[in-house]
Parts: sequence; C-alpha cells; structure tokens
Amino acid sequence: MAVPEISIGRNLPRSPYLLAPKFKYGGRNQFCVKASASSSDHENGKMVIRKEKESWTLDFSGENLATPLLDTINFPVHMKNLSSKDLEQLAAELRAEIVYVVSKTGGHLSSSLGVVELTVALHHVFNTPDDKIIWDVGHQTYGHKILTGRRSKMHTIRKTSGLAGFPKRDESVYDAFGAGHSSTSISAGLGMAVARDLLGKNNNVISVIGDGAMTAGQAYEAMNNAGFLDANLIVILNDNKQVSLPTATLDGPATPVGALSGALSKLQASPKFRQLREAAKSITKQIGPQAHEVAAKFDEYTRGMLSGSGSTFFEELGLYYIGPVDGHNINDLVTIFEKVKEMPAPGPVLIHIVTEKGKGYPPAEAAADRMHGVVKYDPKTGKQNKPKPSTLAYTQYFAESLIKEAEMDNKVVAIHAAMGGGTGLNYFQKRFPDRCFDVGIAEQHAVTFAAGLATEGLKPFCAIYSSFLQRGYDQVVHDVDLQKLPVRFAMDRAGLVGADGPTHCGAFDVTYMACLPNMVVMAPSDEAELMHMVATAAAIDDRPSCFRFPRGNGVGAVLPSNNKGTPLEIGKGRILREGNRVALLGYGAIVQQCLGAAEMLKSHNILPTIADARFCKPLDADLIRRLAKEHEILITVEEGSIGGFGSHVSHFLSLNGILDGPLKLRSMMLPDRYIDHGAPQDQIEEAGLSSRHICATVLSLLGRPKEALTLQRETDLLPPTD
Amino acid sequence: MCCNSGVIIPITDLCFSFFPTRPDPHPNIISFPASVSFRVRPGVPHGPVKSILNDTVQFSSEPPSFYDLLGIPETGNLLEIKQAYKQLARKYHPDVSPPDQVEEYTKRFIQVQEAYETLSDPRRRALYDRDLAKGIHFAFSARRRIGLEFDEQMEDKNEWKSRWESQLSHLKKRSMYKDSGDNMSWGARMRRQRNESS
Repeated sequence: MAVPEISIGRNLPRSPYLLAPKFKYGGRNQFCVKASASSSDHENGKMVIRKEKESWTLDFSGENLATPLLDTINFPVHMKNLSSKDLEQLAAELRAEIVYVVSKTGGHLSSSLGVVELTVALHHVFNTPDDKIIWDVGHQTYGHKILTGRRSKMHTIRKTSGLAGFPKRDESVYDAFGAGHSSTSISAGLGMAVARDLLGKNNNVISVIGDGAMTAGQAYEAMNNAGFLDANLIVILNDNKQVSLPTATLDGPATPVGALSGALSKLQASPKFRQLREAAKSITKQIGPQAHEVAAKFDEYTRGMLSGSGSTFFEELGLYYIGPVDGHNINDLVTIFEKVKEMPAPGPVLIHIVTEKGKGYPPAEAAADRMHGVVKYDPKTGKQNKPKPSTLAYTQYFAESLIKEAEMDNKVVAIHAAMGGGTGLNYFQKRFPDRCFDVGIAEQHAVTFAAGLATEGLKPFCAIYSSFLQRGYDQVVHDVDLQKLPVRFAMDRAGLVGADGPTHCGAFDVTYMACLPNMVVMAPSDEAELMHMVATAAAIDDRPSCFRFPRGNGVGAVLPSNNKGTPLEIGKGRILREGNRVALLGYGAIVQQCLGAAEMLKSHNILPTIADARFCKPLDADLIRRLAKEHEILITVEEGSIGGFGSHVSHFLSLNGILDGPLKLRSMMLPDRYIDHGAPQDQIEEAGLSSRHICATVLSLLGRPKEALTLQRETDLLPPTD
Repeated sequence: MCCNSGVIIPITDLCFSFFPTRPDPHPNIISFPASVSFRVRPGVPHGPVKSILNDTVQFSSEPPSFYDLLGIPETGNLLEIKQAYKQLARKYHPDVSPPDQVEEYTKRFIQVQEAYETLSDPRRRALYDRDLAKGIHFAFSARRRIGLEFDEQMEDKNEWKSRWESQLSHLKKRSMYKDSGDNMSWGARMRRQRNESS
C-alpha cells in the first residue's frame, strides 16, 4: 500500500487510507472520494472529484484541487501497489491536475488529457526508468511529468528556467528521449531495443506514437526496420483521429487527411467475426497442441480475417497487431501491457488504442481545435484569456497577402504539412479550398510535391516552419534548387520562438537556404515588408525563392492598400535612417532591435545608420559597398546561426578587398549553443541580440567600453510586474 | 447483443465459411415462395442447413446474396437497385400479400428492405461486397448495424475486447516457439544468446 504522506503547509488532510472509507467497492452508488472525514472540502472551495455510476466527473467550481491519491505519488514506484479502482481514481485526479496546471500556465492541454489513462497504465505496469517510454512529439507528456517527480515544478512549465514543454533528457532520467518534431519515437525506441539486446539487458522499450505522427515517412522506415530486426519492442499507436493542427477548418472539425486515417477507422468498425473465431478455436483444439506448424499455417490464413481488414498492413511490416483497444479503459490497458510484458519473445508488437483528444474536459471536447495549445484559461468554463494586441501576428499578414496574390493569379497554390492553424493557411483553405493542400506530417513529400506542381507551371507556396523544413532539406536541394524550379518557401517561426524551445527554434534557415546556388533568400523587417515579399516571391518565376518571418506580432507598420504587396526589386535593400560613423545592417525582423538600439544610442550622442538588407541572396552589393565606404564601423545583425547573412556579407567584403582597408566589421548572430525555452524577451537577452547588446557592441567598438558595461536592461529599470 | 457464445460449427460445415470461395450468384433454389436458409444465424443452433419457412426442408449450398434477393447483377447501379426494390416491396408488402402467405411474404419484405438499405449506401455496399468476395455470408441482422455511427460505440467496444483477448493469446502461443532454432532474425538470435548466457 502507498505510504500515507502528510504534506506540510498545504493544509491537506491525511491520506484516506488512515480513515475508514465510506464507499463500497464495486458498488454503483454515488460516492465521494473524501480527502478527510469531514465534508468541509466543498466549503473550503476545493475541487472535488466524484465518482458517479461508471464515470468520474470533475467539478471545477472550487479554487483549489483536492487530489488525495495523487498526493501520495511522487514517482512511478509508488504506483505499483494500486488496485484497479485506485488507478481509475488516480487517472481522474491526474486529469484534474493537468487541467488545473495548464489553466495557470498555458501550454498543450488536450493531448495530455487524451493519454491520461495510458500514462497511468504504463507507469503502473512498467518499471521506469529502467524500462524506457519514448513519447513521440512529446506535448502529451504533462501527465508523465507529473507522475515522475516533477509535479511541484509544473507551474514553471514552458517558462524561463522552468520545465520544458517536451521531454528532455537533461531534465529527468524518466525522459528517455527528447522530442518536439514528430515521428521519431519508433526509430529511437528501436535503437534502444537493439542496444539493450547487444548489451544483454532485459528491460522493456515502449514507443508511443499518434496517428498524426504515423503519417510521416520516418515511422514506416522505423517499422520496416523493426519488423526485419525482430527485436522486442512495444509500439503504442494512439489513434484519436487528429492529424493536423487543428484537425478542423475555420468552420469546424474536419476529417483527418490521408488514406491511413480511413484504414485505421476500418479497423475500428468491427464486423462480427466471433463465430469465426470460436470455430477457429475449436479446430485448433481438434488438431491438437502438438501440430504447431499446422496451427501456425491456419493462424496465418485466418489472421487477416480474424483481425479485420487493414491490420494486415502492420502485420506485413512485421509488427504484431493488437487492437483496437479502448484507450480510456485502464483495466484493459493494464491487462494487455502485463500480458505482453510477461511474454518471452513477442518481437515487435503494435497496440492500437483509441482515445479522444481532450477527453474528460468538456470545453476541450467541444472545441473545434480541441484546445490543443492554449494560453491561461478559466478551468470552469475553458474560456481563454487571450490578450488583444494592437497588431496581428505575422502569420496572419502572410495569409492575408497570399490570399490576395491568389485572387489575382489563379496559379497560386499553397501547401502545408498538417499545420493549417500555425501557418495561417486555414484562412487560405477557406477562401480557396481546392488550392490548399495539407499533406499530413510529411515535409519531404510537401517539398517534392510542390516541385512537381511547379514543373507544370503552377506557383506553389510551401508554408513550413523553419525548423520543420529541416526535415525536407534534401528535397529542397535536390528536387527544387538543383532543377531551378520556382517553388516559394514561406518559413514561419524563424529565429527564436519562445516557450516551445530549441526543438522549434528556426535558427538555421538562413544558413541552409543562402548556401544554395539558385535560391533567392529574403527576410522582411516588418509586416508591410512581408506583404511585399509575398508579392515578390509570387513574381519570381524562374528560380526558387524563400522568405522567413518570426513568431509574434507586427510592429504597426503601414500596410499596403488592400493587403496587396508590390514586388520589390530583387537584390536591393533600403536605408531606414541616415547617420555617420556607425552602420547597423540588419537582416529580418531583428532590424526592430537595431532601431531600438539607435534610440538608446541617442543618449550617448551617437547617430548610427540603420539599413535593412532585405535580401541575403543576392546581396545588395551597392548598399554594402556604400556602407563600408562611408562608415568606420559596420555591424551586421541577424537572428540566425553562423554561416548566414553575416557570413555572406563578410565573404563579399573580403572578396572585394574591402576588408583590407580601415573598416571595422562585426557580425552579430545567435550564439553557438541552443537557447532554452522561455519568454521571448528572455531568449533574446540570452542570445545577446537585444537592443541593449547591439548598443553595447557599438559603444565598445567606438572605444567607450565603460559606457557599454553600464547599460542597463530596460526591464531592470521598471518596477517588477507579474 | 444477440450473439451466442460457444457456438460450435461442425467441421463438415467449415468449407463454407473459411476459405474464400465465390458464392454461386444464382442458386436455383431461389424461387418464390422461396425457402431461404441462413448461415451462421446468431442465436440459432444449427446442424445441417435447412429452410425455416414453409416447413419444407430444402438444401441450398449458398444462402442468397442481397443481389440475388433483389434480382440484380452484382454490378447493378443505384437506379437498378431502387427499381428492383420498389418492385419487390410492392409485391411483398404485408398489406398486399395473399392472406395465406403473409408471414413468409413479410419475412421476404424485411429481407428485401435490408438488402436495399445495404446496397444503396455506398459504404455499406463496399463492406458487403468485400465480405461476399471472402465467401462469408452474414445473417442480415449481424451486418445491419455496421456503418451506423451512433450504434457502433458500445457494440464495438465489446467486440474489441474479445478481439484483442484472442490476439493476445495468439501472441503468447506464438512467442513460445518464436525463438526456436530456425528463426534467424537478428532479434531471435540475440534473445537466444542472452538466454544461453544467463
């Protein structure tokens, strides 16, 4: 039995095991899980978890949460002796805790809610951390983190110096593999299984993957290999019919994209093969237990029929298919896991569980996007406290201008990889449903698919996040750039992205795009420039082009009329402010930080020239030459890694002999390390690219280092806010 | 749920159900008033196939498919299905059937109704065609609920449980002899090595 724990200072009553429980086991009567003998919970304003008939209902009307059983669980080892009733109670409490925590911090809600029972069952049956559980993508691990010793830190999740929003090996020994991009869990799990076999160990390896992540090619590569190697591996396919984010249009829920989803649905619609199965059993009985070969052959023939159509798909890949299983029934899950665990040589096994995203929290179940990613909200109603900024997000401006381009030119089509919400293309989809393509989580296919569209004269816009495009990089090089096909890449979330952390950070796109011979590489400094660049990209029809824009909202620039941009002259930047002695050449939205630095430098009597490079490829040679000639100091600034804009500028300058002269050149870029998740302002500070840092760089180059050191952070000067 | 557990089908009847055979599309048994026999009818213990109507015992090798009932070829389109249905419905409706054959005609009517419902819905028709191709004929009521979302839930869940239970037992059996000497997969070799050394 779990040792009753008394939490000091939390005003919690003792564990129920010390008191005579007043509920009946197995009874259908309504009863309360009381945290204390007194019934004062409700009056104290605590959220109560009640079991009514068969299902648990959560009552969020209180202020605090009463989770008596969850309080006794600090690590999975404390879950070993729980009975099945206890496990159900634990699941209900865990669910309530997740809703409660995310309501205070924001983050990913419904994915974690959907796998509560799975998490509880896994930790109950398996012995983590020796047994390895690998969660694909990882945004559903909030429950896992709570059960593995991080409950007290959950309020810091996704915040600076707090818990990561995804599993992270550095953070805990229970996080077996870092995730953030999808479809890597089976590959990693297979690697761990093979290593286990080579080292002669005996633990279990479990990979949890969703049906969305299953649309990516890597999952098949992994299953193909797993079937061939035949190592013991458990793959849990969490099927909730959600592929894209969201799996909905602007007007409501949608069917998941891809043929696989239909196949998985058919597996669930079970015709009644019972009589067949019974007959099969009686036959094998009559044949006798010795005739393994006959039984095996017989099993092979009937396997396809017994399990319904489609499971043979996984069987052909070499994974033994079990399912479908009700993913919200803990007893079923525990039974299956225990049985598979005790088998000596099951080989690779795929357990197909069916869950509902957002289960147990009615506002999430009802929402079209299922409350996948949320900001702070009220737990009782699910209503989010979305701030109303004065400008829209860059994503929105992009979508608007793309729609305008498509209205002018019916050859414009848009492609995205299961990110209709994040890329803003859901708006495009609403306006032009036949010209918007969601290919599922398949960036490689998306790029080559766009290349194919381009060969026929269409104008494809591939909207893929900067970090996700990494997955399709070979296709960009080989299929698009080498053949000089006019595919346009709109790379959202370029640069640092805040709470999502390094897995989603778009640090490398300038580097990997600008090194390609035929690619036109641009970056807007504000939303108006973004609209012009969309128009420019639409106009570039003889070679591939790309543009990057960050996460976040616009700065309030004056938009072109009717949201229709005008194409820019390729390879021409612009000067925003004239000055002397010092030139700041920014690339992309970081130009705003340069402008901020210029403000700070005013008080030091320095007037820098601020230029917006606009293009990294081809570089504005005249502008750079002019800046180099007319200034003592040239500083290039970009929110990207080494090898990007700064490198191209310095290469240009050296080739043209300008570096042999008196010019002082410095390149500011992201440091050579991964920046952890946190608030965007904190990340910029950490990276050394804020206005203050630029200002300090200028001052030290001008020979005034003492002033540089005494520059204070703006926020340090303000009174502390929440 | 109207399923019987522990239904035992004698081996002699096996050949009908398991190995995919093309059912004879036009069994000449079907003549009106028809004696119709049902294969694997839930709740009815069976021995040799016999008819249930008319008290006449007749043998048929295959039960009639929906296509036979409606009298249309398997490639019939929706229009043909509709026409056939209307025709037969008019013929077999209890109100217009001759008084001494009311019961039989009513049964017939219900079957025709079911046939029409299944074949006119493309999704259900696809499922039905697939079963037909495998040589499995389900009693009408067994297939009736497929495709209707709201009914599927509870039934499916019960079905699921028995399904995965049998999958588990099969896996267990298989895993007993999986690592026998002739399995040369990498995983099997490593497991044998590990078992030998431990």
